[in-house]
Amino acid sequence: MAGKPLVQMKNITKRFGGVTALQDVNLEAYAGEVLAIVGDNGAGKSTLIKILTGVYQASEGEIFLDGKPLEMGSHSDAIDVGIDAVYQTLALADHLTPANNMFLGNELTKTVMGIKVLDNKRMKSEATRVLDERLGVRLRSMDVQTDSLSGGQRQAVAIARAVYHEDLRLLVMDEPTAALGPQETARTLKLIKALREQGLAVILISHSLDDVFEVSDRVHVQRRGRAVGVVKTAESSVQEVLGLIVGAQDAAA
Amino acid sequence: MAAATTNLQERTIMDRLEPYLAFIGPMVMIFAILLFMGIAEPARYFRLSNLNLILLDAALYMPMAMAMTFVITQRGIDLSIGSIAALSGILMAFLIKQYGFPAYIAIPLAILMGAVMGLINGLIITRFKVPDLIGTLAMDLVYRGLALVIAKGLVLARFPDLLTDIGRGQIPGFIPVPVVIGLLTMALGYWALTQTHFGRYTISIGSSPESSEMTGIAVDRHKIYAYVLMGACAALAGVMLTGKLNAIQATSAPYFNLHVIAAVVVGGTSLFGGRASMLGSLAGVLLLSMMINALVTLRIEFFWQSVASGVVIVSSVALYTWMQKKDRDGARSLLAGLRTTEAQKMIKFSALLIGLLILLLAVGAGLATDPTPSG
Repeated sequence: MAGKPLVQMKNITKRFGGVTALQDVNLEAYAGEVLAIVGDNGAGKSTLIKILTGVYQASEGEIFLDGKPLEMGSHSDAIDVGIDAVYQTLALADHLTPANNMFLGNELTKTVMGIKVLDNKRMKSEATRVLDERLGVRLRSMDVQTDSLSGGQRQAVAIARAVYHEDLRLLVMDEPTAALGPQETARTLKLIKALREQGLAVILISHSLDDVFEVSDRVHVQRRGRAVGVVKTAESSVQEVLGLIVGAQDAAA
Repeated sequence: MAAATTNLQERTIMDRLEPYLAFIGPMVMIFAILLFMGIAEPARYFRLSNLNLILLDAALYMPMAMAMTFVITQRGIDLSIGSIAALSGILMAFLIKQYGFPAYIAIPLAILMGAVMGLINGLIITRFKVPDLIGTLAMDLVYRGLALVIAKGLVLARFPDLLTDIGRGQIPGFIPVPVVIGLLTMALGYWALTQTHFGRYTISIGSSPESSEMTGIAVDRHKIYAYVLMGACAALAGVMLTGKLNAIQATSAPYFNLHVIAAVVVGGTSLFGGRASMLGSLAGVLLLSMMINALVTLRIEFFWQSVASGVVIVSSVALYTWMQKKDRDGARSLLAGLRTTEAQKMIKFSALLIGLLILLLAVGAGLATDPTPSG
């Protein structure tokens, strides 16, 4: 990968009481690249991205953004510097419209007679614009409840929430295809590719190596809290990555 | 593929109807009452003075139904509003009669005290994690008890004109003052629900508390807001009731809880949270008042009101639940469910229970002696 990394995690260690969840992990993410993080349950994937998105704080180690050290005390600190995540549960409120979900917790407002009120019209038009222009998704209607959308469309709404921030630079996606059928999975992977083309750094956590090999540029393998290897997707194989995950190729790493 | 397409189209029609469903339901029932009364008792039911009476009765419940819409939409419930209304009314009455407070101070004071009682409810639910059902039910006892402690058995009566104006004043050639107050609170509620952060978060909290938490919404704070609004509106109803009767006692307003919850639920606000309809709540309040008035007009015994309210609550909740279910998993036929083995067992069990009941009644009738009291 040419150029300097957008985000660098250096020698990250995280302990929960006496349990070491992460040991000395290094990770680099580049703009315009999809980095997949794979590993068995309990390998430290979630802990790693929670540190990256400011939910947890590392016990040791440092995070750099554009080469400058980063101090994050909470998830909103991460959002402020352009790092956001789309969680597996998507964090959507099913009874709200897609637009209202996209702006949930961060509503656009206008001032009417000195009172700050919601600007529902602008939220709807902005949501339509972001879904269409950035994600290539057009909903049949923007006035439906979010629970009437398909799994892929719901995913798009959750992603739209993150990419609406103009200064978003790194998007972490936690198991985006876990609950989707084959068609919806294909659509979501297309979305991820679109985000990469727009110059975003994308980190994809997935259990599906098919998905990983379809969209990622590099694969970061975690095992038992350690980074056991980073391979270029184009130069690797499912067997090699699988070997790293279960530990058959320790020597190679 | 063809099946999938029809499926989609069907959903669009449902989607389009869905927002209005909440309002259509009670409107249909209102028209049914109008039609029935138009045949049964048109002369007395449609008299202008009677329509005024219906509105006057409905007005009392409008502020509470507005606030309850927020509480229920957040997956909450408040069973203490009758007592809050009574206690606030009593406190206001004492301030005016005992301590000589001017009414224009005592009235806002009463509403603020109601808000504080709502705050206590909210804190008990969010801080002490007492489930809303238990928490507000227990506080209902507390507030009612305090009202009894303060007022003893007294009936406080004869209040300044300002208060009776609020309770039963009439704007000449127009609607009563309390109706104006009621409709105003409803309009404010509609505005708050659709145009403010509070309204938006109310829906999102009821829809998914976890998602709301994850998007950074202060869930507990907004829950407390709803209970404070509820308390203030219950106190306002207490003020309006005091003015309407020109009297208040500790046992006033015993039926507020269920009446208000019924109106809101009949109006299509979901007890499972996330689905709110302010217009539906207004329609629900009108429906209940019209129904009760109709029962009175038909000279049906007062105690049947309680039966009618209960039946309306159960049937409307069941109807909304059924409609939503049909919407989701395509279960079209009610009768299809009766053929499962589980249903068969349930039918046998019910038959056994009813059979036992009939048997015991028969035995009792067989052994019955002359019931004329001997002493």
